[in-house]
Amino acid sequence: MEQDAQLVQQCLQGDGSAWEELVRRHSRRIFNICYRFTGNRTEAEDLSQDVFLRVYRTLGSYRSAHGGFATWATSVTRNLLIDHYRRTKRDRITDSLDDKMPVVENKESAGRRPDEQALLGELSMQVQSALTRLSPELREAVILRDLQQLDYAEIQTVLAVPEGTVKSRINRGRIELARILQQMGVRPA
Amino acid sequence: MTWTCDLVEARLSDYLEGLLQGPERAEFEAHANSCADCAPLVANVRSLVGEMHAMQVLETPPRLVYAILDKTLGPRETVTGWQGFLNAIRGLATPKFAYGAASVMATLFIVLGASGFSLRKAKLADLRPAAIYQTADRGAHRVFARSVKYVSDLRVVYEIQSRLRQDENNLQTTPEEMLPKSAPEKIPGQTDQQKPSQPRQQNRANEISRQLEMMATEMPMLGERSVR
Repeated sequence: MEQDAQLVQQCLQGDGSAWEELVRRHSRRIFNICYRFTGNRTEAEDLSQDVFLRVYRTLGSYRSAHGGFATWATSVTRNLLIDHYRRTKRDRITDSLDDKMPVVENKESAGRRPDEQALLGELSMQVQSALTRLSPELREAVILRDLQQLDYAEIQTVLAVPEGTVKSRINRGRIELARILQQMGVRPA
Repeated sequence: MTWTCDLVEARLSDYLEGLLQGPERAEFEAHANSCADCAPLVANVRSLVGEMHAMQVLETPPRLVYAILDKTLGPRETVTGWQGFLNAIRGLATPKFAYGAASVMATLFIVLGASGFSLRKAKLADLRPAAIYQTADRGAHRVFARSVKYVSDLRVVYEIQSRLRQDENNLQTTPEEMLPKSAPEKIPGQTDQQKPSQPRQQNRANEISRQLEMMATEMPMLGERSVR
């Protein structure tokens, strides 16, 4: 964490290699959050680039006293993901009409590339598909808690909501996710 | 406190994360175990959380970091000329690549050698497909003929050895068997009704020599060297 703060300082002084180091340290985590939220690799790559672009432009507003760089970057990611969700809402409304038709095969898994399917286990793939059906508030809470393994305080900082709300969203998100999986005919082992 | 299904659902994550203690936990479990709706829900959510914790962290796509750096720091400087060439081959300076290159070179030398191409007297004509075919064909026939001769030689040597061994065994048999049998008593003026006797006492060394000569005449491919 201290090393991140030091790298940020070096970046602000115009050190390009420090910025490269920051990108290398955090790109995997940011990419994973984006991928779990969108369920699409290409979108996740584009969003990750946008996240780092925004981080780079607003690096001066980061204060290490207010928390770690990772938490701050996660907040930026979350805000960008919500913006992206709102922007693409119209597309999803069309998709949701399609979802009301009898489901023969899972849409997300059918459209997934073979290398992605190999990367994720079958059950993980179903969980990933179910995640994208959760509301964004519940989805982000579950991703941060169960996939990114953040503690409640960190999630509270990222989402900027009280701890009670964080707990409630995580709990509702898990229950909702389990019900979606049940509807999909999947029962975790 | 009376635990209802709604309450169990609301405190499910607290229970799974070990935040319920003592009597609260016992009451939660008592309801969850006896309720037909809550029991499968608790089991499913517990499994789901376990599954999500076990889900692997995906690797960063290889081009992502460079794409981010290009977007933020601007496109990297492209080096041209010798410097660019050196930078490009710097990545090849690995033991794995060196081993692969050495294997390719060795294979190339073997193939060229088999096709009759000599590096000392390199001629462009040697690389014509017809010349390569002729050389390779001649070489293959030569190798085949040598192999056949070698196998034949081996067979002859084996036969000689086995016959010598057989003769040695015969020499080591009991002296009684080796001695000439005494001639039966002959009645004067009467034949013994037997076939003319074969010469039994022969010089064994002469016999071996004769056998070897016979074998040499039977097998023309056997050179004089092999007979010795």
